[in-house]
Amino acid sequence: MAKPMMAFPQLRHPFTTSALHPPGSTSVLYQGKTLTLSTTGADDELLIRAEDLTRINGFEVKAEGVCLGDLCIPLQDTFNVTLADQNWFNLSAFARFIGQPFVADTQNRVWSFAEIPAKRESTLSAAMAPEFELTDRKGAVIRMSDFKGKKALIVTWSSW
Amino acid sequence: MPVWQRIYEEIDNPDFVIICAAQDTGGEAVAGPIFDAAGATYIQIVDENHRISSLFNFVNVPSSAWIDETGRIVRIDEGTYSQIHAISDGQETITFGNDVYTPALKDWIENGENSPYINAPEQVSENIRTHSKEQLKADAAFCLGNFFRVHGHNDLADHYWALAQTLNPESINFFRQNLTLTEEGSAGNTFRQRISEYISQGKDYYRPLDI
Repeated sequence: MAKPMMAFPQLRHPFTTSALHPPGSTSVLYQGKTLTLSTTGADDELLIRAEDLTRINGFEVKAEGVCLGDLCIPLQDTFNVTLADQNWFNLSAFARFIGQPFVADTQNRVWSFAEIPAKRESTLSAAMAPEFELTDRKGAVIRMSDFKGKKALIVTWSSW
Repeated sequence: MPVWQRIYEEIDNPDFVIICAAQDTGGEAVAGPIFDAAGATYIQIVDENHRISSLFNFVNVPSSAWIDETGRIVRIDEGTYSQIHAISDGQETITFGNDVYTPALKDWIENGENSPYINAPEQVSENIRTHSKEQLKADAAFCLGNFFRVHGHNDLADHYWALAQTLNPESINFFRQNLTLTEEGSAGNTFRQRISEYISQGKDYYRPLDI
């Protein structure tokens, strides 16, 4: 039987132990980015300041709703929480309302959000390439939309 | 990787790009040297969270999509081998890949919508896998596991990677990425057994090449 193939078996665990984030902070993961919030509300729901919403997922709280471009989600009572005289936006309630899955490790204050289903389905169902934003090895931001007018081969591989 | 570089140079067309994404939670440390050894000049991404696989609903590597000038997908989700490869340990030689994919790719670059190798829209739609909310949640769990992994919190990382695999048992990528943490690696008996079960259940991890 041929030996298993793995390029760098010595690098199975290339990471050393470090703090997840400063004490009292919360980390929010979305679309490959990590945002550390210094102030959040209760532990069992992700309560954020409204101004942090745009930094996390591009949405903005407006009079007409919670908006991303032309898409506006009507404001719901569950989105706004007042706690200790502080107003918060309940991001976990918002995610549930729009059907966006997430997984939270509340003990360690880390919340990971999946792609928003409505955004995905509208592109792939029309056989259009989904938009993405990733950083290449040179540090350049690569977006699918950068390549309009060109043919592109997108190919995945792995070292394993 | 070296073969993709050679093909990229042979095509040598300013209106064609290769976006090559390593699905590697080990990050630059494991994927970077392979890109470098290939002398890659195409776009190189180290995709620790497997986002490209998630966005295009791929379940295995190497997988690919051909995107035309308008952003439309014209082929997708095939075992993307640039040639027939042979790997030998001195006792046994394994061959895989094919010699038809690269000529088809070159034909498309040359002839665009007149190429016989682009798929009809309905075929493309059929080849695009669905990605359920459970599978989306699996992506979030996988990313959460990665976050703990890169901070050295391996018990938590293992927990969320296991959750990702439970939520999305279709993902060969999650399964094999996890196997990289074992002594056996990602292509040993555990992998072979899993692939055998996968196939016996009538599942495909690539769409038929059909070239």
